[in-house]
Parts: sequence; structure tokens; C-alpha cells
Amino acid sequence: MAKMTLKIPKGAVSMQEGTIVEWLVADGDKVSVGQHIYDIETEKSTIEIESPFEGTIKILVPAGETLAVGHPVAEIYT
Amino acid sequence: MTQLASIGRSAAIGIYETMVRIAACDQGIQKGLAAGELQFQYYPAGGQEAIAATIGALLDEGDRSVTTYRVIHDIVAKGTPVSEIFAEMYGKATGCSKGKGGPMHLSDPKSGLMVTTGIVGAGAPIANGLGLAAQLKGTGKVTVCSFGDGAANIGAVHEALNMAALWKLPVVFVCQNNLYAEYTSFKESTSSSSIADRAQGYGMAGEECDGCDPVSVYEAAGRAIDRARTGHGPTLLECIAPRLQGHAFGSEQTHMDQAQLERDIENAPLVTVRKRLLEEGLASEEQLAVIEKTAAEEVAAAQAFAAKSVDLDSSELYTEIFADDSLLPEGPGSGGVRIEDPKPSNTTKMMFGEAVNNALDTALASDPSVFLLGEDIMDPAGGIVKATYGLSTKHGLDRVRGTPISEQAIVGAAIGASLEGMKPVAEIMVCDFAMVCMDQIANHAAKLRYMSGGRTSVPITIRMMSAGNVGSFGAQHSQSLESWFAHTPGLKVVAPSTAFDAKGLLLSCIQDPDPCISLEAMRCFFVPGDVGEGDYRVPIGKAAVRQSGTDVTLISYSWGMQEIQAAAQTLAGEGVSAEVIDLRTIVPLDLEAVLSSVRKTGRAIVVHPAVEFCGFGAELSSKIHENLFAELKAPVARLGARYTPIPFNQTLENLHFPNAAGVLEKARSMLA
Ligand SMILES: Cc1ncc(C[n+]2csc(CCOP(=O)(O)OP(=O)(O)O)c2C)c(N)n1
Repeated sequence: MAKMTLKIPKGAVSMQEGTIVEWLVADGDKVSVGQHIYDIETEKSTIEIESPFEGTIKILVPAGETLAVGHPVAEIYT
Repeated sequence: MTQLASIGRSAAIGIYETMVRIAACDQGIQKGLAAGELQFQYYPAGGQEAIAATIGALLDEGDRSVTTYRVIHDIVAKGTPVSEIFAEMYGKATGCSKGKGGPMHLSDPKSGLMVTTGIVGAGAPIANGLGLAAQLKGTGKVTVCSFGDGAANIGAVHEALNMAALWKLPVVFVCQNNLYAEYTSFKESTSSSSIADRAQGYGMAGEECDGCDPVSVYEAAGRAIDRARTGHGPTLLECIAPRLQGHAFGSEQTHMDQAQLERDIENAPLVTVRKRLLEEGLASEEQLAVIEKTAAEEVAAAQAFAAKSVDLDSSELYTEIFADDSLLPEGPGSGGVRIEDPKPSNTTKMMFGEAVNNALDTALASDPSVFLLGEDIMDPAGGIVKATYGLSTKHGLDRVRGTPISEQAIVGAAIGASLEGMKPVAEIMVCDFAMVCMDQIANHAAKLRYMSGGRTSVPITIRMMSAGNVGSFGAQHSQSLESWFAHTPGLKVVAPSTAFDAKGLLLSCIQDPDPCISLEAMRCFFVPGDVGEGDYRVPIGKAAVRQSGTDVTLISYSWGMQEIQAAAQTLAGEGVSAEVIDLRTIVPLDLEAVLSSVRKTGRAIVVHPAVEFCGFGAELSSKIHENLFAELKAPVARLGARYTPIPFNQTLENLHFPNAAGVLEKARSMLA
């Protein structure tokens, strides 16, 4: 079992931080590759994030928080 | 749709395999971006896989490719190892461009992908140069130049298409029309309904094909590549393949027709080609599953390789700017060179302009990789000031080529040919016109060595006249732009003042491994001097002390020398001993020659024809202050041109430019 960390991605050239709008999965859920798992809002747009990995998700930060690009938001145990 | 079987079973499966490998890379990268592991602007190629995969299958190993930031499909299809692509995306030393180019500037001469540009449309002029080198050397290589529908509207592409058609270059221009340019749809940016139709206007073959269908691409691109390979010239091939997501990873899609997007995703080439292979019985489900699994494993291995590759050493910051790191004006560099000047045994008196002609003639005669290109350079005109007179008659129109009035295409062709080891000398009549091709000069010629991690280099020479102070040329034909060039890391800049140096420096530039700008002042053109016979080289990066002195150092280059030499003479009559330094080269800078003189005199005046404000004199003055502050008897003075466009009116032009009287005034007040 490996732990993969999901971080706030850099969605656009000017993006410095993003707000987690909504988690579409619950802590401990099984997620699959390509599954839409959460949305990030930036000053420009909303980005739908699909899971890059398959496994069990541990959510580190709840919806509503604004975080810098690169900040960890979840872990996926594959 | 024609059956995939029509192109042969193994070709069809091979194309699908490449498409799958492209998609695996594309998704692998986006996975890394979504996880926040990778952070850069990424331009996905989803929907365009079949174009690259099919063209890749049609090309020979030695063929060349030039493309843009939306590159993953093109570079995988050209054959660069996926591990090296990923390592480059991670900025690692094991990357195909040593981590110095990055995702927007991947190149790999081993696979033949010579340039990936981040500047829309800028690849087309360079592709011409690759094609020209193939044509001149008779290698039979074909160059494919990919760009978007948006790029079809930029000037560089227009210039390149005209030149390619005119010279029947072996280039296939592939417009990958994904129906969007960033946030603007094709319809919103282009009034004609077809890009391929424009081919007729350029006098070349044009064809449109379905970029989602390998059969359609195979047939059209096959014809185009054949045409190029058999000497029948270029083709403008438009491959239509809708974009399947926003412009870049994470970009919004609100400008895209959502219903259409859903349909396009459903009918993505990756899906339809797979289905056709199965339906036509060309491959079994198991076979395709193996291809897909192998591609996924290849990408996983590449990602692991990239992630664990060592980072670049900090010393790499200063490497691969020039072939020789010691020539940088800072960091590990000392700037100047300490090579003795040549002393040719036989000399002849000739004018500066004749010396330039003589240098070009000498280079053409002794080195078959040298060729000249520029507007009006061929006989009978032989150039607007006869700098190339007689050369096309003697060396042929292939090697002394007159060009259309297309500065971007001229410099781009020189760059491309130099990537193949040729030594092109491009003429841009007057310095002022360099501004219309600054992108090729500053974004490409100057940077390709660095961006490719030293795997490509651009040994070109660009000659241009700096007019000024000869009267009647006005604001747009008289400028001296050396500071623009000097401000761009990667360019060498020479500005001779004598006939001897004009020849010797030009010959050095032509044989130099880096891009060189040679500024030839019109005010010097008709000044005679003793010029050596044969091939002699004045070192680039070495100043000349024209007169020794003890009281004040006068420093200039190009026609500024005439003014400081006149001033020095007057000063001598007043009992002042001036040391006169001719920099000859601005980059690399012979700072040592300047400092050792000013150490002796304690006073310095820097004079140049270019505008004083933000000019090169400010840089040199600052360097003198930083190094010799305690030893200076007076602050360093600068004298350049006034902060005005160059006036036509003669009285005003005289006020604009620096002259000996101005130098004297500065010197006298400094010595008072
Ligand atoms: C000279 C220049 N202008 C603007 C840009 C910014 N830019 C980057 S991609 C792009 C759209 C280009 O569209 P197209 O040529 O259709 O290629 P696509 O991105 O669709 O593959 C623009 C405007 C740039 N990189 N270079």
C-alpha cells in the first residue's frame, strides 16, 4: 500500500491559491482513477479535480478552506 | 470512412499504438498536475493524437520536426524516449533538454525534433531553414512543421509559407486545426473557412484532411511528404481535429460549445480508431489490451525515472549560453579573450565596405557550409551598399540568395540551416529592420542552445547596417540597437570601426559557434584602411588600444571611434594625453582592457552612437565605478545620443548624435 498525496494544483498561470468548494467523496471512500473528487475555485474559474489514483481517500482539509498552490489536501492509499 | 485496412494492418496497429502512448503520456502528466505534484502550464493534445501518430509513421528516422508548446503528441510520435520527455517536464538533468527547456521547449535532435517554440507561429521560419539545409546538402530529409489554427494568422507563418513555396523547400506545414486558439474559436479569429485554401495564394499545394481519421491523414500527409522528398516543394496540410478540453490543464471551458464538446469526447479518435480496428478484425481485444497496458507501464516507469533523477546542479545556471562559458559578462565568465590579434603579412588598402565584401568572399570560397541570404544581396544589385556585389555571380544564387522582404523568414531560415551545421550569414539591411524579426533573433537564435541543454546551437551571423549621422535617413533608418542585443543573453555583438576589423571580425563571426550580430556603420563604410589578405580572424571579445595615454581614457566602438579619435587629437594639442580604446566587441566584453586603462588614467568617458539613456555606456560606466571607485579621479562620463527619435533636419540630427566637441567638453571639465 502506497500513500499518494494530493496537493492544490496550479491550474492557471496566475493561480497562487485555491478554495476547496466541495468534496464529492467522503473520508474513507474508495475512489477510482478519473473519478471527479473535488472542485477548486480560483479567482478565474472552477477546476474539477479528478482522482489521479485508485484507492482509499483520506481528506485532510474540509471544503471552504483557501490554500496555497502545493498545499496537501488529501491522501490516497493505493 | 475508408477502412483502416486500406493503409495496411501493421501500419494501422502501429498508429493506434503511438496514439495510445501519446494518450498515456498526456494523462500521466495531467495526473501529476491534478495531484499538485507537477506545477507548470500544460497544453494537452487530447483529440490530436491521430495527426501526430500517422505523420510519425510516415516519416523516416532522419526527417525533422518543428512544433509548438502543444507538443506531447508530436514528440512521442517523433520517437523521443518517454523517460526523457518526463524528465524534462520534471526539470531534471536526464531530460531531453537537460531540464533547461521544460514542457514548452522540449527538443531532441536525436529523434529529429529540432525545435519546440512557445511563441505562436515562430517555428515556421525555422522549419524552412531545416528544409533549406536539406535542399542545399541534398540529404533528402523532409521537415514537418506543426502549428495551430491560431498560428495561421501570425505574420511569421505567412512569411515562411511564401518563402517555402518560392524556394520549393522540402517542408510540410501541418496546421493542426483544433478549432480553438486559447479562448477564441476558429470562426472568431479567421474569416476564411479554410486554412488549406490559402495554399493557392502562396503558390503551393494545399490539402485539408480529417485529423481524427488516420486514413485521411495517411493519404494526405503521404502525398505531402512524397512531394517534399521528390523536390516538388512544400504543402500546407490542414488537419482538423477538435480540442477535447480547455486550452491548458485547468483552463476553463466556458468558451467551448458544451454539447459539441461532449460529442467530440464521445467520438475521440482514440475511441473510434480502437473500435474500427476491432470491427475490421485488424486486431483482437487482447492485442489492444496489451498495447494499452504496455503504454501505461512505459509512462509509469518514465514518471518514476523522472521523479528519482537528480536535480540540476546550480552551476548549470551559467552553462550553455555560449559554447564557451568563460565569455559571459558575469558569473564564471571573464568576458574578454586574451588572444593575439592576427598579423597578416600581405595587406591591401580598401574601404570598410570592400573589406566586408572581401570577408564574405573569403568565407564562401573556403567553407562550403557558408551561405548568404538577404534582401537584394544578389547581383546585379549586390546589396544596397554593394556589400555583396559580385558574390552571387562568383558563388552562385544558391549560396548568395536574394530573399523576399521577410525578415522573420530570413533569420528563421538562417537559424534552421544552422541547426543542421551550416554557417548562414543573414543580412538585415539596416538595424532598424531588426525590430521586425526580434522574435527570431532574441527568442530563438539567442536561446536555443540554452533551451536545448546544449544539444543544439545556432552558429549564424546577422549583418546589419547602423546608419546614423550620415544625414537624410531620419528616425527609422539610422538607429544603433546594440543595447537591445547585448541585453539578450546568448547573442554576441560586434561593432567594428576599421576596415581591417570589419573583415577579421566578420570572418570570426561566421566561424563562431554562437549567433553573432555584426553592426556595420554606414559612416565607416567608405573609410579606407589596410586589410589583410586571406582568412584572418580578429578575436571576438578583445578591445584594441588605438592610442596610449595617461590622463583620460576615451572608450567607444563603431563610428563613435571617429569622434573620440578626433577629440584625442585636439586634446593632445592642449597637452592632454588621452588613451583611446576601441571596444570592437560589446558581447563578450573586454572589461579588462577598459579597467587596466582607467586604472592608469583615473578618468573615463564612454561614447556611443546609440541613445545614452539606458544605453550600453550606462553598463560600462557602472562596471568601471564598481571596480575602480577608489582609484577614479572623477566620475565616469557618458556621451550617447539624445533621448529623441533621430531627426531628419540636419541641425537637429547634429544635436542628436554625440560628436568630438561633446567629448572635448566632457574631457575638459573632467580635467579642470
Ligand atoms: C506570439 C504569441 N502570441 C500569443 C501567445 C499566447 N498564446 C499561447 S497559445 C495561444 C493560442 C494559439 O492557438 P493555436 O495556434 O490555434 O494553437 P493551439 O493552442 O490551439 O494548439 C496563444 C494566443 C504566444 N504564446 N505567442
